[in-house]
Amino acid sequence: MDDDYTTTSVDADREMTRLWRTWRTVFEMLLDRGYEVTEEEVQMPLHVFKQKYSDPLGYPDRNKMKVSARPTEAMQAKYTPLPSKSNPSPQPDCGTIYVEFCPDATGVGTKQVRTFNHLVDENNYHTGVFITQTPISPSAVRLLSSMPGRICEHFQEQDLLVNITRHELVPKHVLLSPDEKARLLERYRLKESQLPRIQVSDPVARYLGLRRGQVVKIIRRSETAGRYASYRWVI
Amino acid sequence: MSAGRPILKTSLPSMHAASAASTGPSKPAAPRRAPPSAPGSQSQQQTGFLPNRPDADPRHVAIALHHAHQIQAQKDTETLILDRILELVTLPSSPSADPAAPSPEDARAFKSALVPFQPADYDNLLLERKIEGLCGYGLCPRPHRQEDARGTYRITWGAKGSGPGGRGRDMNIVPKEKLEMWCSDECAERAMYIRVQLAEEPVWERRADDARGQDLLLLEEGRARSQQGKGKGKMRSSATSSSDMANDIARLSVRDDNRSRELALERGDAHPALYTGRVGINVQENYNAQGPATAPQMRPGDETGGSIEGYVPQDR
Repeated sequence: MDDDYTTTSVDADREMTRLWRTWRTVFEMLLDRGYEVTEEEVQMPLHVFKQKYSDPLGYPDRNKMKVSARPTEAMQAKYTPLPSKSNPSPQPDCGTIYVEFCPDATGVGTKQVRTFNHLVDENNYHTGVFITQTPISPSAVRLLSSMPGRICEHFQEQDLLVNITRHELVPKHVLLSPDEKARLLERYRLKESQLPRIQVSDPVARYLGLRRGQVVKIIRRSETAGRYASYRWVI
Repeated sequence: MSAGRPILKTSLPSMHAASAASTGPSKPAAPRRAPPSAPGSQSQQQTGFLPNRPDADPRHVAIALHHAHQIQAQKDTETLILDRILELVTLPSSPSADPAAPSPEDARAFKSALVPFQPADYDNLLLERKIEGLCGYGLCPRPHRQEDARGTYRITWGAKGSGPGGRGRDMNIVPKEKLEMWCSDECAERAMYIRVQLAEEPVWERRADDARGQDLLLLEEGRARSQQGKGKGKMRSSATSSSDMANDIARLSVRDDNRSRELALERGDAHPALYTGRVGINVQENYNAQGPATAPQMRPGDETGGSIEGYVPQDR
């Protein structure tokens, strides 16, 4: 009996720690994308996380783990398209983000995704991030991406266990605002289709929530030039 | 967009019927292509110029629109299939239905919903039903098998005498998740019987007269039909087929406008802008040439080398 108890607690501990790492990556991701999150939320230590989000048995309670964050001024400026003749005062194309952890351990299908979609739609969130423990079915992926007017993303918990952008081999990716993009294209006398490309499904692009048509500046260290910047068009 | 027009743009008449019947209030996407029998209305609808670019060639606009509509049709089909999957997950309508003898309404709904499916879409449906905890066969209300024992593979034994040489038993090693998709082996057989009847090509590439994937048979219906078929002779059919063949050959002709229009429809070239080819060739003669050309003549100073673009070298 005693033995049994210790194995469950070790098990719970391990799962809790894994989830804590995912949780931190989610907050770092929100911070990097430019949402309003506080320092304490990003730096939450493990024991606080355990206190807050575990059930009586010590296992994580994913139903409690819901986050919503508003974009900062800087992010709104970055997402505001350039004013045009037909639209002289454009609104920023970003809004409140909502992150949910799916509590189902196996078999996430269209049912859960439909509930999630409904929730995002009902509360008028601009972006939804759905985090599951297992891969979701192809129809569920299609359902998630087919929300009209809203952006829904999906991650697996194990994808976010480690923050990939903090790895030494991953260069810094910076999203350009429409204004900066226009200036870049003018400076190099390019059309945007002449830029090198990056896929939307690229891990870093997924992390930053890039959208088709945006341009990222990639800054890497160079032995000869010190720093080297290159640009990628998101397709 | 007229009310009775089907959602799908495909040359399959049954697809039109199925999609028009079930997805009536679907969202209106792009303006639809009219059937090729009414070219007048079509050219008005499509070859209109762009309001912000009046100098765009209407033919180019028409071709761009044509391709955009094809892509839109594919997307519409994909959403249609997704909707069908979501519907089929909830079948059968009553929790006490018998998969061996489904109610006629359910069977009809099941079969008509599966017409646009490819085998891969059907696999998605099976996966979706498994996640819901149901047996993979669409007309079976029972939950799928659950085996507690660990291990990724299971050994299944066939009936007695099914082994090699008619002795012993047939043995198969099956992944556990494959086995857990069904409530029983019968349902697995029924579901796979449907799967092999589905057409491999996506709906938007199917031929108009392609019978594959059109009238699906449930396993029970298929068995009943093969039982009936055995009794009747095959002599008659061969006799009729040879005379039919002779008639068909007599009717063959090289140029048949009706058939070529059908062919164009199948290839998706139904738009009148495409009848004359995709690229407009406009030969423009240069009328500025004045009479026949004359040979160059010697001018004064040419013997010393002449001028170089107007400059005459001085000391020579």
